[in-house]
Amino acid sequence: MGVPAIPMCTQAYTELAKLTAARDGMPHLRQVFTPHPVGGKTDAELAAYLVNPDPVSGIQIMKEIVDDLTRPLTADEKKTGMDAIAAGPATFGPDTVDNLQEIFMNNGMTDYMPIIIPTEEKVDAMLKATSHHPDEVLRTPVQGVGYTSSRWGYTVRQVAVNAVMAGCRPEFFPVVLAMASLGPLGLFGSTTSSSTAIVINGPIRDKLNMNYGLGALGPFAQANATIGRSWTLMGKNLTNGGILGDTYQGGQGNQLDYNNCVIAEDEKNSPWTPLHVQFGFKPEENVVSIFGGPDLRQGHGARGAGAEIAMFDQQMSFMFQSMVGGSGALVICDPLVAKRLVDQGYDTKEKLSEWLWKNTNRTVKDFKESFLASFHLYPLALQGREPYASWYKMPDDAMIPFFPKASQINLVVCGGQANAFFQIANMNHGRSASIDKWM
Amino acid sequence: MKVNRRRLLSLLGMSPALLAGTQFEAGQKRKDEHGGAGSDQKLTAVSPKGTPPPIQLYSMAPRASSLDGKTIYVVDATSFLGSATLLHKMQAWFQQNMPSVKTVFRTKAGVYAEDDPKLWAEIKANAYACVMAIGH
Repeated sequence: MGVPAIPMCTQAYTELAKLTAARDGMPHLRQVFTPHPVGGKTDAELAAYLVNPDPVSGIQIMKEIVDDLTRPLTADEKKTGMDAIAAGPATFGPDTVDNLQEIFMNNGMTDYMPIIIPTEEKVDAMLKATSHHPDEVLRTPVQGVGYTSSRWGYTVRQVAVNAVMAGCRPEFFPVVLAMASLGPLGLFGSTTSSSTAIVINGPIRDKLNMNYGLGALGPFAQANATIGRSWTLMGKNLTNGGILGDTYQGGQGNQLDYNNCVIAEDEKNSPWTPLHVQFGFKPEENVVSIFGGPDLRQGHGARGAGAEIAMFDQQMSFMFQSMVGGSGALVICDPLVAKRLVDQGYDTKEKLSEWLWKNTNRTVKDFKESFLASFHLYPLALQGREPYASWYKMPDDAMIPFFPKASQINLVVCGGQANAFFQIANMNHGRSASIDKWM
Repeated sequence: MKVNRRRLLSLLGMSPALLAGTQFEAGQKRKDEHGGAGSDQKLTAVSPKGTPPPIQLYSMAPRASSLDGKTIYVVDATSFLGSATLLHKMQAWFQQNMPSVKTVFRTKAGVYAEDDPKLWAEIKANAYACVMAIGH
């Protein structure tokens, strides 16, 4: 911009702020820190912040700001040219398997569970499962605006190393490559601890022996387990994510990050159109879809979950009411639930999504006071983006839909028909990619 | 028809624990074929890391010796709770302690990670400096 600028954030993000400035090319940027947090403090407390010392520098904050805006620059602060970040050594060892496990774990390259050691031989075997050249670039490294973890680049070979570590068989590799082509990868760094759900459609589910029946969301199939694990390892290693206090700020973390809720849709027992066909792909195509959001919850807690005649549409609507409305919902129905919903008249997923969208409402006041609204949705309203711009103009007692669009409510089917249960991921669809392209 | 192997073994007077034994032997054999985790064999592992971008270094903008008569934009860059209030308190501080400094409050458009080139152009055209509150 060419204008003196002072970024100011709270003490909790000191490390992140300094590292981000360095990665953006200003390692000596003058920054000011307030005590943490700013949110939830009274006017008087915030006014006091400004006349009290910066907890990092010890200098009174307003004095520091005035000084930072008027003090002549040092030679370091004026430095231009190029700098580099090291990604570390290209190889580790030779060493024993046990020692290599320690090296990988202690250097933050694992999920703290044992890995398959990625030898050259195993990586080459993985690479044989794709027609793509090992040096093909899936993502070019870029410096600049956006999440820090989105700036690193990676090749087909680098993806293969992580697939080996996760325990993937070579035949799983096209799925992992399709996922990697979508980026940003696992371990989204937000304080919200948001995670991922990965939905896989198409004939490849059976080719890879994916489990979409009994225990579909549990640890009962190698493909489900390792493909999901690779998403987190790729996030850690390929894009420098998952560094606590730096590229990862999730307040409580998320158990889903161990596997990223891999869902192979049961297309045979579903009465509805498969998810990938809804997204415009052909039924015979193999497709992976990525969803993002905070959590996964069982339908058992819904109002009416124990009623003699289950009204699943109403149960789902009830559960939506405690979700993050700015995100979305991925409803995971056992085939028994899906068939019951068809009996109720929902012969397409779209009809149910539309009903849920129209019948799950809240007041404008509740919306304004909901999580995400002030810092995520209000700025969109200021840009005139709908429906938020209109919602912020409505009276506080007006009723509005909980989710902005019916299309933010998606449904998939899987489960062993042991009982008529459903789960809901509070997650929004991000991106989908063809797996066939990576075979 | 699905066969319940545990029930079948029970009917034959055999312990279902035999199932576990069978699986263990198969697993053991497989381990022997591939070398155990405690093997002394030494391996070389490939790094799983991606490629970081090269970093273009930027100089900070030159400073004036005084803020007298200058305009400073105070920018709420994230709209996190309390950040706008904090910046309004900063405006009040300037008004009380450095009245020759004019302050202008703006909220950056878009979600926090989004760029706002229109606002940057406005600041460049109208201001000497800006203070940007990021959060939380």
